[in-house]
Amino acid sequence: MAHDRVPQTGDVVLDVRGLSVDIATPAGALHAVRDVSFQVRRGETLCIVGESGCGKSMTSLALMSLLPRAATRRVGTLALLGEDLATATRRRINALRGDRMAMIFQEPMTALNPAYTIGDQLMEPLRHHRGATPMQARKRAIELLGKVGIAAAGERLGQYPHQLSGGLRQRVMIAMALMCAPELLIADEPSTALDVTIQAQILRLLADLQQELGIAMMLITHDLGVVARIAHRVAVMYAGEIVEEGTAEELFASPRHPYTQGLLSCIPVPGRTAPGGQLGTIAGTVPSLIGEVHGCGFRERCPHAQPQCAQTVPQHHVAQHAWRCILEALPA
Amino acid sequence: MAALAQPAGSPLQLIPTRSVWQRIWRNKAVVVGGGLLLLMVLVALLAPWLSPHDPYAQDLAQRTVPPVWYSAGSWLHPLGTDPLGRDYLSRLLFGARISLLIGVSVAIISGLIGTTMGMLAGYFGGKADLVVSFLVTTRLSMPVILVALATVALIGGSLWVVILVLGLLKWDRFAVVMRSATQQVRSLDYVAAAQSAGASTTRILLGEVLPNVLPHLIVVATLEAASAILLEAALSFLGLGVQPPLPSWGLMISEAKAYMFFSFWLIAIPGSALAVLIFAINLAGDGLRDLLAPEGRA
Amino acid sequence: MHIYMLKRLGLAVLVALAVSMIAFGLLRLSGDPAIAIAGEGATQADIVLVRQTYGFDRPLPVQYAEWLGRTLRGDLGESIYFKTPAAPLILSKLQTTLVLGLLSLAFALVISVPLGVLAALYRNSWIDRLCLGLAVIGQALPNFFFALLLIMLFSIVLHWLPVSGSDSWQHFIMPTVALGYYAAPAFMRLIRAGMIEVLDADYIRTARAKGLPASTVIFKHALRNAVVPVVALTAVQLGYLLGGSVVVETIFALDGLGYLAYQSITFKDFPVMQSIVLLLSVIYVVLTLASDVANAWLDPRIRVA
Repeated sequence: MAHDRVPQTGDVVLDVRGLSVDIATPAGALHAVRDVSFQVRRGETLCIVGESGCGKSMTSLALMSLLPRAATRRVGTLALLGEDLATATRRRINALRGDRMAMIFQEPMTALNPAYTIGDQLMEPLRHHRGATPMQARKRAIELLGKVGIAAAGERLGQYPHQLSGGLRQRVMIAMALMCAPELLIADEPSTALDVTIQAQILRLLADLQQELGIAMMLITHDLGVVARIAHRVAVMYAGEIVEEGTAEELFASPRHPYTQGLLSCIPVPGRTAPGGQLGTIAGTVPSLIGEVHGCGFRERCPHAQPQCAQTVPQHHVAQHAWRCILEALPA
Repeated sequence: MAALAQPAGSPLQLIPTRSVWQRIWRNKAVVVGGGLLLLMVLVALLAPWLSPHDPYAQDLAQRTVPPVWYSAGSWLHPLGTDPLGRDYLSRLLFGARISLLIGVSVAIISGLIGTTMGMLAGYFGGKADLVVSFLVTTRLSMPVILVALATVALIGGSLWVVILVLGLLKWDRFAVVMRSATQQVRSLDYVAAAQSAGASTTRILLGEVLPNVLPHLIVVATLEAASAILLEAALSFLGLGVQPPLPSWGLMISEAKAYMFFSFWLIAIPGSALAVLIFAINLAGDGLRDLLAPEGRA
Repeated sequence: MHIYMLKRLGLAVLVALAVSMIAFGLLRLSGDPAIAIAGEGATQADIVLVRQTYGFDRPLPVQYAEWLGRTLRGDLGESIYFKTPAAPLILSKLQTTLVLGLLSLAFALVISVPLGVLAALYRNSWIDRLCLGLAVIGQALPNFFFALLLIMLFSIVLHWLPVSGSDSWQHFIMPTVALGYYAAPAFMRLIRAGMIEVLDADYIRTARAKGLPASTVIFKHALRNAVVPVVALTAVQLGYLLGGSVVVETIFALDGLGYLAYQSITFKDFPVMQSIVLLLSVIYVVLTLASDVANAWLDPRIRVA
């Protein structure tokens, strides 16, 4: 895997500490996100990776204040370029959304309003947040459509979402997110719903855009391949917690958490996995997050579990690498 | 199909289980509406025993006596008397019988017609479907109240004429809903099983399809009954429905129109009775729909 | 899109024809129309004369074809009661009823759209239950009773509005409310249901993520998509309102088509009666066709295929 991604040292754009999300269910409170902390710097891509249901999407929605009704958010620090989002008014949040922080979603087919043209929807953020005239907004829209690789941008503006393919729609979504030149871009599984060939294109596009514009990007995915392609830093999420965080290089080369190790063993790595060799699996299922939750969420499935894992789990830091585990290093 | 606690794809159990009663009890609309409706049905059935007087007995010495809560009223006639001296409470109670009779009869007649059409269209599709759809569209294009008025005017008004005319006109909703319900049910396994077992079409329609579209049928029937009661009231109000001296509530309001300025209670009492009855039926119908066929919720 | 429209047009024509047959046949319901027209106390000779004049002695299909031909040419016969040609009579009253119908429709929409949106936004809250409760109560009130209540309150007690007639715009206020309120609950429920469904859609989340104000999200993005079935219902309701106006117009003595219909029915004025039924049916068919077109046009997926 090519890891030519140098860890960034720019300003911290997004600072999250102690983020928790609870969802009210008939059976009790579901702790979807538990005490999650991370930072994203300018020019850096942080990938949050984990399996379905680990809470990664909820995390991103929590940042944008887009949680569903039944969900409540608690957070220690939630700051965008130093500005506190946790106590900001509704108005302020709205002013920031689409302008300073933008988000793109998984399903490009349904993320655009079928009743309005691409152009109309593209121009909306700029016109609303910056008071741009239709002329100005149109110009910027065409510029961005070009940047995301859509030819004949002028014509596209007058088209409706149903006239575009999935890949094109996702590009439009990206362009739309970039209209006001945000500091932070959150992408929730941006390539998952697309064809494999298009996936690579979209990811490449995102990486290039980030390089060019120097934005801070947070990308949610369940696919380690995506992580390999695009991430500077990686945070591995399991059962609502971040169990390991570090640079992409470190994580792939020397994972410290049993879950990360398990994940990596599940994917074939050219050069490492012997042809015809077995891929690993992680036995067991994700624990229930309803009601009281304590200790390490992975202990039921961990090959190295010990009785202490049912109590509070210590955190370790080595330079930029952090992990939550009883173990300081994984047995070889 | 939501309904009464049975695994998907299996025929409906017609005797509800305990959990079903719990669900019914929790549905306020059904409880309140159904309860109120039941009360009114009881009152209507017991009208001959509950009425203090003969609803047709005129007493010209006691004309337009106000109800008991006015100073000029008395407990002899708790709801007063009408312009011909007939006891209003008695007329009100007997009027309930008329309204309920209309509602039930029209629902049955139009239900039979519409359900047959709808089931045939939904089950066979193709030409049958085209014909039924065309008939429904044609029927929907006609102004019901005008056609009903004209027909009654031409044939002559009476209780049974009204029932027949409304019954022959109001089947459209049944046809539409039953058609789509049948289409849904048609593709389920046990229908195919019955077909391959060589059961006749009639047997399949009556034995497999009908029990499963029954929830939808009941919901539509309640709403159509309410609509029929309102229509009859309007027809009678215009003089082209039930004929005097029958105590149809609509007719009572019409007879009271001239006295509106001095004795508004003559209008208010039957009018409110109508509103309460329709309210109860609609509420119960809405609640039933939530219980039995939530996917039909608008 | 065009083939779709042509098909709908063809169907509309067929339905119109079917309805014309029913309108034509309405007359025959009372048995021999000649007797009905000749009236009571008519002699046999009178009846035969009527029969010949109106052509009732010819075969039914011939009568129908002739009647249809005349109708299409605008000749709707002569009013037995008013003794003037039916067509101008009917058309002169149509205007009043159309105004009443449109006003009632507007009234119904003005109440129901905000309530429906509110109910959807605050789904399952007391606001929602209040709106739904109002809807059920509204649908339980018979329109003639409600009309009388309005008269009692606004004319008798408060002396604000005139009771009957159709001279000024004030004469239209109570009839509009009395006719329109009944259509409101259906609209409200439809908008509520549509909005609830739409508000869950992904593109609403996108709109919110763009930081658009709530009003833009609700009215520009959500309502626009929720409104499509409402357009179809509008046509249906307008048809209903036009037909149902007979009760309201009669109570308020509003000089429109409904009142004329009532008079023609009461006085057994067959030509007028038939023609009104036919006219309203055709209007309804046209409205349905228009709503189909509007529906298709509103959805870019059909319009720009």
